[in-house]
Amino acid sequence: MTLVKEAPARPAGKRRPAAPAAGRRGRRRENLAGYLFMSPWIAGFLLLTAGPMIASLYYAFTSYNLFTPPKWVGLDNFTTMFQDPRWQKSVEVTLKYVVVATPLKLLLALGVALLLAQRRRGQGLYRAAFYMPSLIGASVSVGFVWRALFSDDAIVDRGQKILGVDVGGWIGNPDYVLYALVALSIWQFGAPMVIFLAGLKQVPRELYEAAEVDGAGPVRRFWNITLPMISPVLFFNVLLESIHAFQVFGSAYVVSDTRCGPADATLVYTCYLYQKGFKEAQMGFASAMAWTLVLAVGLVTAVLFRSQKKWVHYEEAGK
Amino acid sequence: MGTSRHVERRTVLKAAGAAAATLGLAATTGCGGDGGSGDGTVTLRYAWWGGEPRAIAIKKTIALFEKKHPKIRIKPEFTDYEAFWEKFQTQASGGNPPDVFQNAVGFLRKYDKRGVLMDLKGQADAGNLSLENFRNGVLANGQVDGKQIGIPVGANTMALVIDLKAFQKAGVTPEFGWTWDEYFTALQTIQDKLRIAGDTGYFSIMYLYDLYLRQNGKAFFTDSGLGFTEDDLTQWWEDGHKRVKSGLVADPKKVEQVKPKSALSAGLAASEFTWDNFSIRYEGEGESDYGLAPIPTGDGKDTGQYLGSLMLSAFSGTKHPEEAARFIDFMVHDPEVGTIMGYDRGILATTEQYDAFTPTDDNNKGVKAYEEEVAAAGALGKITPHPSGADVVEAAFLRIGGEVAQGKSKPADAAKALFSEAKAAFAG
Repeated sequence: MTLVKEAPARPAGKRRPAAPAAGRRGRRRENLAGYLFMSPWIAGFLLLTAGPMIASLYYAFTSYNLFTPPKWVGLDNFTTMFQDPRWQKSVEVTLKYVVVATPLKLLLALGVALLLAQRRRGQGLYRAAFYMPSLIGASVSVGFVWRALFSDDAIVDRGQKILGVDVGGWIGNPDYVLYALVALSIWQFGAPMVIFLAGLKQVPRELYEAAEVDGAGPVRRFWNITLPMISPVLFFNVLLESIHAFQVFGSAYVVSDTRCGPADATLVYTCYLYQKGFKEAQMGFASAMAWTLVLAVGLVTAVLFRSQKKWVHYEEAGK
Repeated sequence: MGTSRHVERRTVLKAAGAAAATLGLAATTGCGGDGGSGDGTVTLRYAWWGGEPRAIAIKKTIALFEKKHPKIRIKPEFTDYEAFWEKFQTQASGGNPPDVFQNAVGFLRKYDKRGVLMDLKGQADAGNLSLENFRNGVLANGQVDGKQIGIPVGANTMALVIDLKAFQKAGVTPEFGWTWDEYFTALQTIQDKLRIAGDTGYFSIMYLYDLYLRQNGKAFFTDSGLGFTEDDLTQWWEDGHKRVKSGLVADPKKVEQVKPKSALSAGLAASEFTWDNFSIRYEGEGESDYGLAPIPTGDGKDTGQYLGSLMLSAFSGTKHPEEAARFIDFMVHDPEVGTIMGYDRGILATTEQYDAFTPTDDNNKGVKAYEEEVAAAGALGKITPHPSGADVVEAAFLRIGGEVAQGKSKPADAAKALFSEAKAAFAG
């Protein structure tokens, strides 16, 4: 497309004068059309996102049981929250989940991406197959499947018994059940894998050729070329997956049969938030929890962004 | 492709139309119908919790009602227990609960306090609903502070469900008036002879602990709080934990793993405390034969038992109070409804329905015999009150009891935790 300075000739009758006033009017009208087209989204955003967020920020400072009007209590929700042993437990469980699940998932995603980055027959099929779990993983039905896989005398348990390990299913065992959730998260490594793949494709071939000429082996090439070159992508994945992990809910809720247990073993943060809000009708407390999570995730994001300088290499900076 | 800087008027209008349509759509989905329609037909929403068999039976009773009352339509809503109360809470807080719904004693005060429940006395006085012919004084279960906010549809009581084959093999026969010591000795015998646990986890069942407390002159709830001390509970859980460790009570991990099957029907243990009308599930799930046995006592007489019940309540703000009352009346008194429902929600609460239904299968016969026996023993007391927040306390009791059983929490700490959670629940 070429850029035309002069507007193409129009039939004389419809020609408009190129006066600045008309241009403004035109622009205004164009803006109006734009806003009108956007208005469903804007309305949705205001009604369904911004409004509830502001309301929940207010509720966070109130005692609110849904029935009687919210009562302002200042920071009470936050002080009781920090002293609540179940809240502390939920923080502990969530951190454990994030710290274990995120690196394992990314490691697997990177590993498979490295394998799939090489040209081979049927690679489209492999990529689709590995990506598939990410598409269906968030569904409730997969939670049920997971429950069936990891319960007593199910396939995982039997497999373990063959290997001589008898823990009797992971679902009922407070020491293991969280790892069933971790496994579910790892299984959905498709999304970060696709991003890694895109990153790997961007690494210039010449670098590898040059390194090969200099006698660098595959491991050396990986550490000195691949990893630094894909570090922005790695950063993106770490950021996205850890935020994602902090918000885990569906799998914990379904796998542990809506109780986030046994013995609160899968009481992830959002699960406790849900219980407080919708089972115990403590909306003020639940809102306070929600905003604390927002702040915590924000903090983690900020720390990750700060850490970039140390390990993320952007081409511009390198030159 | 070039974009025109001059957007046509038509485009603007189209966009406006699309936006208006979206907003309109949002507006219409935002509110529920008021249930009225032009020809005088009234629609009532009726909600309950329970499994598939109950849903099928209730739908039959609805069809029957609509046939006899052509001007009233019933819109059913049903889910399982957990989902029911989560949904109900949200609906009720938005002023849009169902017109008529299943209720239980643990929720009466909670929703009465929030003004959700209709006092049905007024409708009874107006002649739309009969409060006569309820068996064994069970009508009182739906009363709070002199108001009739629930109408019982069934009555049930706690029982000990036993694996008959296991008890026979071990040579143990449960008898009316047996004591807790005798019960635990029986569990020991079963463990010694059959190498399985005797019980599936008695100490996490709030309603059983209530019976135990009642046997000792206390009760789980008072009008506004808990009717026992932290030390009482510590003792109860300590004993329970010891029995898990010694294998008298089934391994809680296994119990958790076999869910949704019960640990009794999975063969992990030989007995389980539950409500007598729930006992029907075991035949379907398990491979043994099951029977109902009496609750152990402290003194050989008092079991602490009472009749609990499921009931029907109406929303205080319903647009059709008269129709709602008529519907409830039909559901609790009509003999045909009794024959359709059977003992699904407990033994039928009114004499009309109780007389109309004669159980033919062994399970229902067993439930009937058990309850008649309990009533005849003269052991039935009055239900203890459940304060607002009782539902949250029950969930906490089950969860914390589970933590004790799993060895994740010391009994004394657990009791302390329960008391602090209960305090918050009663305040809410």
